[in-house]
Amino acid sequence: MTPDAQPPAVELRGITKRFGDVVANDGVDFTLERGTVHALLGENGSGKTTLMSVLYGLYEKDAGTVVVDGEPREFDSPRDAMAAGVGMIHQHFQLVEPMTVLQNVVLGHEPTERGLVDESTARADVTDICRRYDFDVDDRLDEKVRDLDLGARQRVEIVKSLYRGAEVVVLDEPTAVLTPQEVDRLFDVMEELTAAGRSLIFITHKLDEALTAADHVTVLRDGEAIDTVDADATTEQELARMMVGREIVTERRPRSTDPGRPMLTVEDLHVVGDRGREQVRGVEFTVREGEILGIAGVQGNGQSELVEAITGLRSVASGTVTFDDRDITRMGRRGRIEAGVAYIPEDRQTEGLVQEYDLVKNALLGNQTVEPFVDGRFVDWASVRSHAESIVEEYDVQPPTADARAGSLSGGNQQKFIVGREIEHDPDVMVAAHPTRGVDIGSIEFIHDRLAALRDAGLAIVFVSSKLEEIRALSDRIAVMYEGEFVETVDPDGVTDEDLGLLMAGRRPDGLDAESDGSALEEEGVES
Amino acid sequence: MSDADSGRVRDRLDALAERALDMTVVERFALAVASTALALFIGLLVVAASGYDPVAFLGYIFEGSFGDSNATARTLKFGTLAILTGVAVAIAFRAGVFNIGVQGQFVVGGFVTVVTILWLAPLLPESAVGGVALMLLGTGAGVLAGGAYAAFPGVLKAYAGANEIITTIMLNFIAVGAVGYLVEGPFRGEGNRAPNTARLPEYVSLPQVVFDSPDFSLVGFGVALVVVVGVAVVMARTRFGYDMVTSGYQLSAAAYSGVDAKRTVVSTMTFSGMVAGVAGAVFAIMVQGYYSDPGGIATYGFDAIAVSLLAANNPLGVVPAGLLFGGLDSAGTHIGINSDVPVQLIDGIIGLVVLFVAIPELFRMAARRTGLGGESR
Repeated sequence: MTPDAQPPAVELRGITKRFGDVVANDGVDFTLERGTVHALLGENGSGKTTLMSVLYGLYEKDAGTVVVDGEPREFDSPRDAMAAGVGMIHQHFQLVEPMTVLQNVVLGHEPTERGLVDESTARADVTDICRRYDFDVDDRLDEKVRDLDLGARQRVEIVKSLYRGAEVVVLDEPTAVLTPQEVDRLFDVMEELTAAGRSLIFITHKLDEALTAADHVTVLRDGEAIDTVDADATTEQELARMMVGREIVTERRPRSTDPGRPMLTVEDLHVVGDRGREQVRGVEFTVREGEILGIAGVQGNGQSELVEAITGLRSVASGTVTFDDRDITRMGRRGRIEAGVAYIPEDRQTEGLVQEYDLVKNALLGNQTVEPFVDGRFVDWASVRSHAESIVEEYDVQPPTADARAGSLSGGNQQKFIVGREIEHDPDVMVAAHPTRGVDIGSIEFIHDRLAALRDAGLAIVFVSSKLEEIRALSDRIAVMYEGEFVETVDPDGVTDEDLGLLMAGRRPDGLDAESDGSALEEEGVES
Repeated sequence: MSDADSGRVRDRLDALAERALDMTVVERFALAVASTALALFIGLLVVAASGYDPVAFLGYIFEGSFGDSNATARTLKFGTLAILTGVAVAIAFRAGVFNIGVQGQFVVGGFVTVVTILWLAPLLPESAVGGVALMLLGTGAGVLAGGAYAAFPGVLKAYAGANEIITTIMLNFIAVGAVGYLVEGPFRGEGNRAPNTARLPEYVSLPQVVFDSPDFSLVGFGVALVVVVGVAVVMARTRFGYDMVTSGYQLSAAAYSGVDAKRTVVSTMTFSGMVAGVAGAVFAIMVQGYYSDPGGIATYGFDAIAVSLLAANNPLGVVPAGLLFGGLDSAGTHIGINSDVPVQLIDGIIGLVVLFVAIPELFRMAARRTGLGGESR
């Protein structure tokens, strides 16, 4: 640093944070240069969020120094951090849904005139920020936050922290909830912000995003900063090696050779979503033994409702669901579990695990009618415990104890536990909804391996994901869903990423070689 | 309060909630004991400030709660009812259903017990064996009635979306009014000047063990303990209990695991009401021996909410919590009779205990519901 240069926006020196015996951050150094995006890359549980929580005043550090704007600081609370110009956008938005965008932005910092909220000043200030950074929320200031999609809510959060004077904004896994288009939007916004001199810290575990959006990348592994590199001077392979300590290859897995008899058949299925809108419109497909049907599509095109209808969590408006020659359309969730339909749910936090329970109690979730865990009416906790322990061991759940509270596990480990529990149901059909979302690379590979092994063992698998590379790597057929319909069902080896992208946008590419398995939609069902 | 202050309060609350959610059972129990002591201490300060002798007052409390066998019997009597109604509330609260109608279920259960016994008495031999049979049949009927009276708001909640807090409160009034009318008119005992049913036959009463008291029997207390253990086993060791408690923690996870949310609401309410029915039957048989206008019966079902909160909605915790309430109630009776200290002071102390002990638990419940302290997870 030359003497006349400005100090870095943020400098963390030797930050150490322990939780009991666990060292979450071990002497981490981190420097955020002014006007840049700095990615903090690491697997789940590598200490990214902990480090930023120390910076943001949520956690008290055990050792080290936080320097903001060249001055050493002690933050006792996010208030202090905010006052020093450090803002943080959490994964779960902190917005009041029934209030308007404007009210949310100024909440707690309302400009006042004689004790009353001065709405016109507030409106002018917020509009000004939106214009300056090209946010589209300025003409939606009076809409209620609950009516906004997740991407727009995130922009409201960013506007909120700018309104509070944030010079440094920490974005905690901001892309996890966004559609691919919204991710592009976010990256544009980030560019605008840094162009205007703000500095951003971008927490992620996605290699491509770090390379696309950041100027510098710091890789964390097991609480230690492995290295900091320029985004221009590195590759995904190199970053991946730093993250996991070994090379990761996304290889295409061998396809299913001979699918067996049909296990799950869906005919002319119509499902109504939460807001009374028809979300699934006439979907048809068949999955056979030993086959993975991938369902691709941008989130929110009816995949969730389709999955819930198959697994028995949502009633069907019309159409049929047939499992192993049995009509299960009207069967409840428990009946389907018993029949052999396992489900790795989209939302592991609220559905897949009871956060307050330890893993022993969570091992019973969905197993309430399964012997030997439950004999008649009574639970045999000893056998549930040994089951939980075997899942923890077999599926490499960290920390390796069944007594851990589910909520204390990192996302990847929660997911491994759920995957293990569902596989150990010994099902005939596995429905896996976004099984690798928010999961670290090591766990992704692990989960992919397990699903492929299940397929080879003869299960029929429905695999929903919005990530093209994993859909392509794992599926035997890919159905692309758009606005509640299957646009097309294609062979993963006979389709390009570009074609899939077009299909996900509801367009049928020219000359596409659709599979003639009868599950593709008729022409009139396709929007163009 | 300035913005910065409110932000700090929020941060502190967050930190506190995090801590509270991580407390172990032992820590919570220790906190409850400390809170009780602190509440008593502050209560004594109030007593002193009102010009009474706090030391003498403390003496009355101990004397009145377990100073002699009469006092102990009274404590156990109130404790029995507090425990039974407290468990009824705890069942529902654990499952995330707010049954505020335990008083109504208690009244209906007790009344049906008495009516059933009076109706069946002529059909059975007038002997100890007949008495036991009548008590079992009467209690059975009371349990069914309490369960049915709670199932109704459960059905309304599950299938019509009616808020159970409101419906159960309304049903309390209906129970008190309807039973009041019935004991006033159709079921009034012959020749009774007061609006009471006829007395239960002499041989329909619980045997006196250790204590010799007209309105308490150790057998009744034993029934309460058996019910507590039974409920604890159901909650911790059965599929039904797991489904119920899981629904209370996380409804969406329960649904994922195949629990039918609507049916669980109804069965939870029914189970809770059945225990309230046991409480009603014990009250009718052990304490009263007849049934009177429920407008004049103590509000055990409401105190039960405090008892359950005191016990963190844990059925086993309800035993010490119920005994604490029973002891304070009993001391209140004693002080009312034997001293010039206004009995309101003892009510005030009960209030302090509830505040001090239940607030941390309420805070935990609120924290879980509002997501306070969940941020760092």
